[in-house]
Amino acid sequence: MSSLREKMMRLRGSAAPAAETAVPAETSTLSGEARPTPQHSAGSEAAAEHGGEAQEERLSSAWDEMNVRIHHTSLGGFLLRETRYPLDFRHGEHRLSEITDVLQGLAQFELYSEAKSMGANKVDPELFPMAVVPERMLFLDLETTGLGVGTGNVPFMVGLGFIEEDAYVVQQMLIRHPAEERAMLRYLSEKLPAYSHLVTYNGRTFDWPVLAGRLVLNGLRDFRWEPYHVDLLHPSRSIWRNTLSSCKLSHVEEERLGIEREDDVPGSLAPAIYFQFLADGNPDPLFGVFRHNEIDMLSLAALVIRFGHLLGGAMGGRLAYPEGPEEQLRTGLWLERMGQTEEAAALYAKFEAGGKAEPRLMLQLAERDKKYGNWERAVLLWQQVAALMAEHAHPSWDAHIELAMYHEHSTKQPRLALQFTEAAFDLAHARYEGLRLDAKSRAEIEAIRKRMDRLRAKLAKLSG
Amino acid sequence: MLRKQTLPELIQELRGHENIINWHEMEPQEARTKPMPATVDPRIAAALAKRGIRELYSHQHTAYETVARGENIVAVTPTASGKTLCYNLPVLSAIAADDTSRALYLFPTKALAQDQKSELNEIITEMGIDIKSYTYDGDTSPAIRQIVRKAGHIVITNPDMLHSAILPHHTKWVSLFENLKYIVVDELHTYRGVFGSHVANVIRRLRRICKFYGSNPIFICTSATIANPKELAEQLTGKPMRLIDDNGAPRGRKHFVFYNPPIVNPQLNVRKSATAEVNSLAKKFLRNKIQTIIFARSRVRVEIILSRIQELVKNELGAKSIRGYRGGYLPKQRREIERGLRDGEILGVVSTNALELGVDIGQLQVCVMSGYPGSIASTWQQAGRAGRRHGEALILMVASSTPIDQYIVQNPEYFFDRSPEAARINPENLIILVDHLRCAAYELPFKGDEEFGPLDVTDIMEYLVEERVLTRRDDTFYWANQSFPASSISLRSASQENVVIIDQSNVADVKIIGEMDRFSAMTLLHDEAIYLHEGVQFQVEKLDWDHKKAYVREVDVEYYTDANLAVQLKVLEIDKTNIRRTVTIHFGDVTVNAIPTIFKKIKLSTFENIGSGPINLPEEELHTSSSWMELNEEQLDPEVRGDRLEQVLLGIANVLRHIIPVMVMCDRNDIHVVSQIKAVHSGKPTIFVYDHYPGGIGLADSVFKRFDEIKDAAKNLIRRCSCKDGCPACIGTEIIGIDGKRRSMDILSFL
Repeated sequence: MSSLREKMMRLRGSAAPAAETAVPAETSTLSGEARPTPQHSAGSEAAAEHGGEAQEERLSSAWDEMNVRIHHTSLGGFLLRETRYPLDFRHGEHRLSEITDVLQGLAQFELYSEAKSMGANKVDPELFPMAVVPERMLFLDLETTGLGVGTGNVPFMVGLGFIEEDAYVVQQMLIRHPAEERAMLRYLSEKLPAYSHLVTYNGRTFDWPVLAGRLVLNGLRDFRWEPYHVDLLHPSRSIWRNTLSSCKLSHVEEERLGIEREDDVPGSLAPAIYFQFLADGNPDPLFGVFRHNEIDMLSLAALVIRFGHLLGGAMGGRLAYPEGPEEQLRTGLWLERMGQTEEAAALYAKFEAGGKAEPRLMLQLAERDKKYGNWERAVLLWQQVAALMAEHAHPSWDAHIELAMYHEHSTKQPRLALQFTEAAFDLAHARYEGLRLDAKSRAEIEAIRKRMDRLRAKLAKLSG
Repeated sequence: MLRKQTLPELIQELRGHENIINWHEMEPQEARTKPMPATVDPRIAAALAKRGIRELYSHQHTAYETVARGENIVAVTPTASGKTLCYNLPVLSAIAADDTSRALYLFPTKALAQDQKSELNEIITEMGIDIKSYTYDGDTSPAIRQIVRKAGHIVITNPDMLHSAILPHHTKWVSLFENLKYIVVDELHTYRGVFGSHVANVIRRLRRICKFYGSNPIFICTSATIANPKELAEQLTGKPMRLIDDNGAPRGRKHFVFYNPPIVNPQLNVRKSATAEVNSLAKKFLRNKIQTIIFARSRVRVEIILSRIQELVKNELGAKSIRGYRGGYLPKQRREIERGLRDGEILGVVSTNALELGVDIGQLQVCVMSGYPGSIASTWQQAGRAGRRHGEALILMVASSTPIDQYIVQNPEYFFDRSPEAARINPENLIILVDHLRCAAYELPFKGDEEFGPLDVTDIMEYLVEERVLTRRDDTFYWANQSFPASSISLRSASQENVVIIDQSNVADVKIIGEMDRFSAMTLLHDEAIYLHEGVQFQVEKLDWDHKKAYVREVDVEYYTDANLAVQLKVLEIDKTNIRRTVTIHFGDVTVNAIPTIFKKIKLSTFENIGSGPINLPEEELHTSSSWMELNEEQLDPEVRGDRLEQVLLGIANVLRHIIPVMVMCDRNDIHVVSQIKAVHSGKPTIFVYDHYPGGIGLADSVFKRFDEIKDAAKNLIRRCSCKDGCPACIGTEIIGIDGKRRSMDILSFL
């Protein structure tokens, strides 16, 4: 064996890939004190059922302290940790019980996807009386051994959240070894079909494909479950893409949901901690991973509540309006796409009233107005932007061109249109003066020139 | 110019040319056919009939019948013999009979896969059966990928894609792997050396996954002519193979002509440069609008010849009608050139061996080789580019003054009577094997008693557990690492990091124009190197070795650059020894340290040295296998000891460097020869021959086994060389005045 190692080292020489050197698990000090007041229920009923089995395996006290129990299935055992949060538990700005208040709003998600699949902008809610029953919503988040969705990426921990008997239950599965995965998946394959809605954060491209792959790999190829999948990353990105430095769940919750984590073990360290556990069998550092995943499960619920409020018309009441023009505009655009036109309109009004928006945002709203035929505000916005450009260090001439098109085609004033085009040309010229032009900017200038020529010809024809 | 001459006229004119030293004519061959088998689906038969195919060539027929019996086949098929039908017919029949059937096609390059898709889709459309065939490569868009995975009957891809994108994500390909009936391996002969050794392991992984999903596909391989197609196919796929080589395709008359440039310096036996001769010959054909392909041995040569020919014919033909073709060009450019050749828009192409492969460029009339391509198999492949089914064709091999070129043209029987070389792979190369075992374990857990190829790999699995890549539970090894192993393993080269070539001639439009592997970059992309691309000269302004980027700028200079590499050797372990009275031959492991030292500027027109400069790059270290021969100096004639012996060894090494690649079928760069008067480990005069790949790929081993054969060939080469006492064509020119030829032969006979 050691001769093989020596030989490999020799052959690889200096070119040894760094990827394989195991990262030592960071032993962070974990404080259990900050824990809320949930009650840990011992294992699950299923564990009790099998309790009579002859060689009942006992877990060490370290596991006991984390409230971890063995769960047995026909395919073997795995570990289960269950934490029950009473529904009046407050996580950041929201209480878990609010979930029952936002069901109407949440139904919009499904409505919206129906509308999209039918190619319509809006669907009459009367036609699709969607019923989201809190007890049939499942929250899911995986901790995996690597990145990507390749077949070697193993979810060593699966976090589930669901409502059961006036409690929000966080159930976390852990496999002590890859060989336990089959048992865990068997348990999941029996549990999942009871739910009609799946809520994740980035689950469309990560958690769910990973899990689906694991099911195939472990011989559960025929498993079928088609819940309605709400991936909260998508609305989060729509709204906070530019106003938050990152749309990671831990960042969104801190910035917008008032959630603070103490001594959090970052998710990126989880694989290294798990590999360390595989190597030395010491479960203690895993507690940090359990806690991290547990808070993710709570934050998922809090975030779904937030979006439910947004969609359910709670803004201005229970929920404050977003601040800052960018977030107002983006929230409005998102709400409008989800069919909430009135709420959107209110936000656009706030945006306008604020009066401190960057030109690019004003153009964005004008674009929206143009699409919906609200020419009045669109023209106003374009005019404002066009006026701002005179003083701007890096002026753009999009507003001028929009105005030129508007006056040429809608108000039939080619002379005015030409004036705006000429102003655009001057701006472009000043902007690019002394610079070498690439193909794109050349084409831009060329387009303006063409428009100018065409308008002049048109005017000449009219006057001649 | 009055009238265009036709090819037969030019051939007539060429006969009797004083520099032609051998004229070999190959008679035309009539087609041998058999009727279309009755079991072929009538819709397929009708579609083929529409293209004028009513019967099958004998080899196509045998292929169809053998596959129908459930056997794996390897069909040996020269260029343009209708090889695609050998696999398309069984595959399309299987899908026509059962819509759930799936097939996987492997081509060595993306370009070949694209070609195949267009051809296949044409037939499918004519058949009127709903069969979906798709290419799956780096260019496939995400939306299409989903469709390919779920609904593609025929998935056409390359080994690299299989290795890094399909196998590690096999759970997304359930419908392919569950129903896989056929695996087609086209251009089998290209899977040799390092690349072949990798691909053999990729196929082991593929078969493991098929087994997991319960399928047991049949392999259909096609190969150009090599000595061991059956052995190679069996080694590559791990399955017993039936060889099919009853080629029944017709072909036209071919003239295979050896051309030796005249001697310009009788003392030194220096001949006129092959490049110059190739240029003037090619010019003649191109002027007469005869479509010509010119093969050159290196990328640099391609560019030099290209620029000369473009210059020579610029008043008669547009520069665009003569093009270059080689690795390093971007795919889009290559497609454009292939298309241009097919529709006749491009009249001439100067290529490296990149166009040896089955890329569809239509039928060319003349093939000119600048120098011997290095192997018999490769020569026939290149020759196959000229003249397909009908009409006369001319193949001209213009010899350079290297020993092997001179050997070949002066011993034509060696070339025409000898069977082509064997293609060798070593799937058990430890580095390659371990790399693919990592990938295999990533894809599916490994059972302790599971075999991988013919090997029990438990030792390696345990080693990987120690490395914390795997974890063991009971009798199973599981992947337990954060990395994605396939991404750090390249099938094509020793080092997966390529150097990207960035053209910054235009500050406003900086762009990537190509890439090159790390080892070649050491000597071709160092600071101040002249890099030629599409006939345009670029100077390397900065080679950023840490970030693997070479920044170049277009220049117009009268020279090219040539770099020197300094090499040190250490023996690590001796595995095999053959002791004789005068010499001891060893096989074992060595460490090689290589560092580029200086580069020379060589004038394009006269090849004289007009300057030099240092190269500052870090040393590269290589652990590999080697064969080396130690001389017992005390047994030698006292006259050839010390300095004199050192020079003679240098000369013998020079000969070996040329003869070994021919004997063991490898690229010149795959094997290196170094002589030392006092080897570090023994103090004895020694010649080392080593594989230029970590861990070795079986070449040095082959040298150990065939030592006497190689020794005799080397002696023969020196004896037959017409020079007086050493020339570049045999022992080199640096050892004049010591009766080097005789002494070298003496030593070789004495071994």
